[in-house]
Amino acid sequence: MTKPSDPRELDARGLPPPEPMQRALETLESLQPGEQLRMLLHREPFPLYNLLRERGYTHRTTQLAEDTYEILIWQITPE
Amino acid sequence: MSLASLSLEQAPPISVPFRFFLSAPLFLLLAATALLVAGPVALESRWSTALLSTTHLLTLGCMSMVMCGAMLQMLPVLAGSPVPNPRMVAWAIHLPLLAGALLLCAGLYLGTPLLLQLAMPLLIFAFGTFLCIAAYSLVRAQARNASTRAMLLALAALAFTLVLGVLLAGGVAGLLELPNILQLVALHANWGLLGWTALLVIGVAYQVVPMFQLTPLYPRVITRWLGGILFALLLLWSLYPLLPQPAAGILSLIAACGLAACITVFALSTLRLQHKRRRRVPDVVLQFWRIGMFSLLAATLLWMAGQFSTVLSESTFYPLALGILFIVGFALSVIHGMLYKIASFLVWFHLQGKLPSKEVPNMKTIIPDTAARRHWYTHLASVLLGLAAALWPMPWVYAAGVALFLSGLLLLANLYGAWNCYRRMVPKA
Repeated sequence: MTKPSDPRELDARGLPPPEPMQRALETLESLQPGEQLRMLLHREPFPLYNLLRERGYTHRTTQLAEDTYEILIWQITPE
Repeated sequence: MSLASLSLEQAPPISVPFRFFLSAPLFLLLAATALLVAGPVALESRWSTALLSTTHLLTLGCMSMVMCGAMLQMLPVLAGSPVPNPRMVAWAIHLPLLAGALLLCAGLYLGTPLLLQLAMPLLIFAFGTFLCIAAYSLVRAQARNASTRAMLLALAALAFTLVLGVLLAGGVAGLLELPNILQLVALHANWGLLGWTALLVIGVAYQVVPMFQLTPLYPRVITRWLGGILFALLLLWSLYPLLPQPAAGILSLIAACGLAACITVFALSTLRLQHKRRRRVPDVVLQFWRIGMFSLLAATLLWMAGQFSTVLSESTFYPLALGILFIVGFALSVIHGMLYKIASFLVWFHLQGKLPSKEVPNMKTIIPDTAARRHWYTHLASVLLGLAAALWPMPWVYAAGVALFLSGLLLLANLYGAWNCYRRMVPKA
């Protein structure tokens, strides 16, 4: 297991749908193995979760403020 | 927790909402045709057969069609409770609603009781199924928020509207003896417009305005209280026919002022949120909502003026202008605006699940802004020309009819373009 490095940052606050999702999917494709993506959004991106699952990613969401969410995304690696 | 939790994880197939969305513009075309064929006679009185038919083509055929389709799409994702067997449910609602609305409007236009009698079971079945499914979905939902509460109240209002509408159709078709048809009409219209329509728009606005227009959230005091107060005032107002004068008049006036205040609060707070939006880029959907909110304010002002001036409230202009401002200016504007966002987003999203990300077209190209803007101008013209026609039916009814027809045509073309984009891309999957 590789040690997680600092996650790649994506501040998608203030972008209209579906730009945050679009940017997240584009960034994920360029991630190195073991690298994580940290997204900031004004709302919880439920539709994104489905697309992440289909593509073999998982996530952890934390609400930082009433209108700020942090979503940490990484690839599911086989045990 | 944020109010806005729009999850597509349990979203129905894309064909479910789109069959409703693509049917709606056909009713705009029919409404415009009814106006153009009948001419100025349609606007001589609010009781003209052509106007009754046009009103139902717009409210039942176009508005309710979109509202049912959008709700089937949004219910599972807002309430976290999937609609059982969505494809079959969509068939069971869409087809009888389509056929029932066509028969009812034809029956009203031609004054043929048989058509109304045929329309009734179809509409009862369509709305009955919709109400059961939607209420079931909302009641067993885990997520309870301001939107789901407003939606539940909107459903109750739809149920009242349906019962009153069935009674009225029974009366017009000669099956029932109605004691006071004018009071029933007022109840039917108010529950349909201020209840079913306004409550649903309010509930949906809590989610889609902040999300798509990048505004701050609606103030908590509004999302907590507004829907419930509006519904309670509608109930209070509905009691006035049971009371003797002058108590009935006083109650009706108090309830009307309260309803007007609720509507004004909603319209002004939406405009204020839009003014405070995070990104000030030109957005045609925002422009549709602006026509909607200004028309809603204008309708409310006119309604209030009518409460205090019998000269105004007894004029032919008054009910026509109120109807045009509320139905075409407010409801249709908001519905068109939301349709553009929802339809493009659904196509984009469903393609994401089927194609590699790079091959999915940009959402902005699914319904181009220029095409939506062309429709916006035409729609605005139909509102303004409709108001002119309410004052001077000859010759403005023809201009309003042409504008409404063009508006329906452009909406159909734009929505069909989005649907076609999906169908064109899917075989590549």
